[in-house]
Amino acid sequence: MSEVFDGYERHYCEISASLSRKCTSAAHLDGEKKKQKVSEIKTGLDDAENLIRKMDLEARSLQPSVKAGLLAKLREYKSDLNNLKSELKRITTPNPTQASREELLESGKADMIAVSADQRGRLLMSTERLNQSTDRIKEGRRTMLETEELGVSILQDLHQQRQSLLHAHSTLHGVDDNIGKSRKILTTMSRRMDRNKWIIGGIMVALVLAILVILYFKLTH
Amino acid sequence: MADQTAKGEELERKAEKTLGGWGIFCNKYDEAADLFDSAAICFKLAKNWERAGSVSIKLADCHLKLHSKHEAASAYVDAANCYKKISIQDATQSLNQAVKLFLEIGRLNMAARYYKELGELNEQEHNLENAMEYFEQAADLFQSEEVTTSANQCKQKVAQFAAQLEQYPKAIEVYEALARCSAKNSLLKYGVKGILLNAGICQLCKGDVVAITNALEQYQEIDPTFSGTREYKLLANLVDSMDEGDVAKFTDAAQEYDSMTRLDPWKTRLLLRVKNAIKAKEVAEDDLT
Repeated sequence: MSEVFDGYERHYCEISASLSRKCTSAAHLDGEKKKQKVSEIKTGLDDAENLIRKMDLEARSLQPSVKAGLLAKLREYKSDLNNLKSELKRITTPNPTQASREELLESGKADMIAVSADQRGRLLMSTERLNQSTDRIKEGRRTMLETEELGVSILQDLHQQRQSLLHAHSTLHGVDDNIGKSRKILTTMSRRMDRNKWIIGGIMVALVLAILVILYFKLTH
Repeated sequence: MADQTAKGEELERKAEKTLGGWGIFCNKYDEAADLFDSAAICFKLAKNWERAGSVSIKLADCHLKLHSKHEAASAYVDAANCYKKISIQDATQSLNQAVKLFLEIGRLNMAARYYKELGELNEQEHNLENAMEYFEQAADLFQSEEVTTSANQCKQKVAQFAAQLEQYPKAIEVYEALARCSAKNSLLKYGVKGILLNAGICQLCKGDVVAITNALEQYQEIDPTFSGTREYKLLANLVDSMDEGDVAKFTDAAQEYDSMTRLDPWKTRLLLRVKNAIKAKEVAEDDLT
């Protein structure tokens, strides 16, 4: 009967050794591999626990003299198993930071895709805005050139008007001179008219006098 | 307005009668002239341009007999204005007579102005040679009266028509003279680059690359700012494309200029001629090779 127990015992020793080795190696790993190891360790622990239960049953079914020794051994193995379990817990728990970091980085990968898409979108928008500003500047330049052309034609009109004004100015001076001359001519004319009137008046008086004298001489003879 | 027509006809008849009959104190021409004048006004109100024009001509005849050339000339101008609305030929005739009378009187200013109008009428009729002649005479008269702006305007038209009629050397001369005059004047100097561009296009039409490069240098002298302008860049590009015989480059340069300021029909026509010339040269070269 103890051969079965011995067999179990040997099995258990192997498993616990491999489990402890796996624990130490898993402590240094990260991510997926760690999870794999942890799950391996868990299965190993389950096996170890089964073995211990079987050993327990075996031990109880044996004679009391051997029983005590075997139960003591069993207690040792149980504590060993508990150690292994606690170590596994220790390995898995400092991982809240690590586990959340893993979670973050994993979603971080998805985030990166979103971020690059975001960047692309922003680049497209800025390119479009630059194009729009280029168009607006071109439009503004066109308007400015049209205004310049308009300004040139206005200047030409002004030039023409200036010349017309100057021409009118000189013509008016001419008119002024002519009016002065015509005034002089009119005054001469009126003077001449007066002179003629006086002369004619004088001649008429002379003629009347002559007629009176002749009549007088005619009547007195 | 039928009553106006009737009134006008009545007045005309009275005037004719006065002319035909014996007038006392030989006043008949005066009276007839007055009646013709009122008749013309009535016809104008009735919008009967044909009758109005003919009456105005009769009025002018009366004035001529009265030896008042000025009035006669004004009457001819009136007639021309009426005829403008119906038949441009008659208008041209009347205007010609009016101009002759003005020249005889010595009112060169008015003669020049009516020469200009004649030129414009001929331009409308697309009779470019006559138009050019009239504009030239107008420019000469304006120059002698020292009315430089109108003279410049007429000269510009002369150059335009000359270029259209392919008389390129003449056009180039006129444009260059214009540019030199305008550059001196502080008001007109902003228009110089337009004139130089026109002159440059005429040079291109002539097709002599060496002459064009010389000319561009000369234009630089006339107007110091010319080399910075878009017009100069356009001309330089066009000369290059002509040198290389590259039609695509030519079209590009023209398009670039057009995108900023539209090319007017005259420029477009001339540039098209240049482009065809380049194409023809290209084809000829291909044939030779």
